[in-house]
Amino acid sequence: MSETRQQIALVDVNCFYASAERAFDPSLEGKPLVVLSNNDGCAVTRSPEAKALGISTGQPWFKIAPRAREWGLVALSSNYELYGDISARVMELLGRYSAWLEVYSIDEAFLGIKGSPEQVTGLGRTIRAAVRRNVGVPVCVGIAGTKTLAKLANRWAKNNPALEGVCRWESMAPDARELLMSRLPVSEVWGVADRLEKRLNAMGISSILELSRADPVMVRDRFSVVLMRTVLELRGTPCIPLEEERVGRDQLIFSRSFSTPLTSVPEFRQVLSVYAQQASARLTRHHLQAKVLTAFAGTSHYNPKDKSFPSVCVPLPMPTADPVLLTKAAHALLPAIQDGVRYARAGIMVTDLRPSGNQPPLDPFTNPHEERGIGPLVEQISRKYGRGTIGLGFAGLRSGLDWSMKRGMRSPRYTTHWDELPVVRAA
Amino acid sequence: MGVIIGPRVIEAGLSLRLVLVSPVAVAAGFPSPAQDYFDGRIDLNEHLIKDITSTYIVRVSGDSMEHAGISDGDELIVNRALEPRDGSVVVAVLDGELTIKRLKITAAGVVLQAANPLYPDIIVPALADLTIWGVATRCLHHV
Repeated sequence: MSETRQQIALVDVNCFYASAERAFDPSLEGKPLVVLSNNDGCAVTRSPEAKALGISTGQPWFKIAPRAREWGLVALSSNYELYGDISARVMELLGRYSAWLEVYSIDEAFLGIKGSPEQVTGLGRTIRAAVRRNVGVPVCVGIAGTKTLAKLANRWAKNNPALEGVCRWESMAPDARELLMSRLPVSEVWGVADRLEKRLNAMGISSILELSRADPVMVRDRFSVVLMRTVLELRGTPCIPLEEERVGRDQLIFSRSFSTPLTSVPEFRQVLSVYAQQASARLTRHHLQAKVLTAFAGTSHYNPKDKSFPSVCVPLPMPTADPVLLTKAAHALLPAIQDGVRYARAGIMVTDLRPSGNQPPLDPFTNPHEERGIGPLVEQISRKYGRGTIGLGFAGLRSGLDWSMKRGMRSPRYTTHWDELPVVRAA
Repeated sequence: MGVIIGPRVIEAGLSLRLVLVSPVAVAAGFPSPAQDYFDGRIDLNEHLIKDITSTYIVRVSGDSMEHAGISDGDELIVNRALEPRDGSVVVAVLDGELTIKRLKITAAGVVLQAANPLYPDIIVPALADLTIWGVATRCLHHV
């Protein structure tokens, strides 16, 4: 029975942004490297070498910069076009190994897998080698009976080189698992944030092991059903289902497998519109705007006959949460949809998020452009006085204002811009 | 019946344009005798890219592969998933740079060859000592 029960693998890319950069610039290998947030504000990704220098996540760049030269530290601006494309490649590849894939964030996904302990561990190794080989970035794989434990196993795989990047939780001896859980603070468990940690500590629960031994009913009553699920998951009872959307650190994903495959462009137009509007609503709710939209679709891996995995990465003309612009951008996938092919899943991802500034939040389901009749007016003026004399928002500004964010140290957009391809030396 | 105007199409915020649509299907004479034969245009992606997760496009800088038909400024389609073999044109990591060479695997060892006599061979003790970034499958040569 237990031989073939469903297991969950959490696959995530090690130091994702730094690894994506290194894939195209091998000279960065072995060097301390940080990738900076929007407008080069602070370090969001650190290579192990940068961590060893004592640089922390979120450390402001102006504090690091004075010592960068002395350290030989390389700092790069965020290259979201590159990260978006590499992410799409990784997710697509992972989809080949499981029918059940939940893209959890730009660099991690949960996969449902089945088989004997040896088979699932072997699959973890295969996945790790394939992502490294095909896409060019290193991943770690944590495998367990629940998502929460898969997260923990993944963490263990990362910190324990002997495991070579793959850890199956149940393969560890029970006392080793307990020792590990007793050493890790509750804040290290998936879903426990800082504020929760303080309250738990006040009750005498400071390690993950102590949390796993807490009375679930008490936890539900004093905290929430969410934390109760965490307790149950730590004990090996799966109770966090597939989630289809989630706000991550700097991206937001809407992805889903269809109950019945989609086969036509009009169906896709509808699905992508719905996702784009959901993205818009969610961005608005979180007072965020996006700069890049990625849309993707894929056939089932159980249907090797017609394989199709189209994806597009659309840089938005300005940061936006506007449903019209996001829908329009998502529709850029449509020309790549092959009529008649049975698509099993589709999704959109918005990345490069930033706070929405002073604009009032839009009602996500009204269309301000359509309502105010601005379109016809602009067209009328353009026809009378020539194209480019007036435009909608950003389109009206030919020069002068620079809306683009500061990305002074951005590497080339190697995979999305023809003028910025990686250069190979013939010398 | 007249032609109505709409919907407005916003081209990623860059310009506005009007699309004319007809409310009814318009009979437009005899159907094209070719319509049953149209099966989509040739799609280069389909023919040149075997696996999109592992395929990258790179640009060549330099003339050391001239005699293999790979010139300065050409683009190469590189598949990372392919196993490099004797004779493969590969992108290798040399001194922290991506470098294009022909891989020769001989009994004596592994050699990275340029395809231009002006450039010397690079001898590598074993394939394991070499990082192969990918295998070039096509050259998009500028003519």
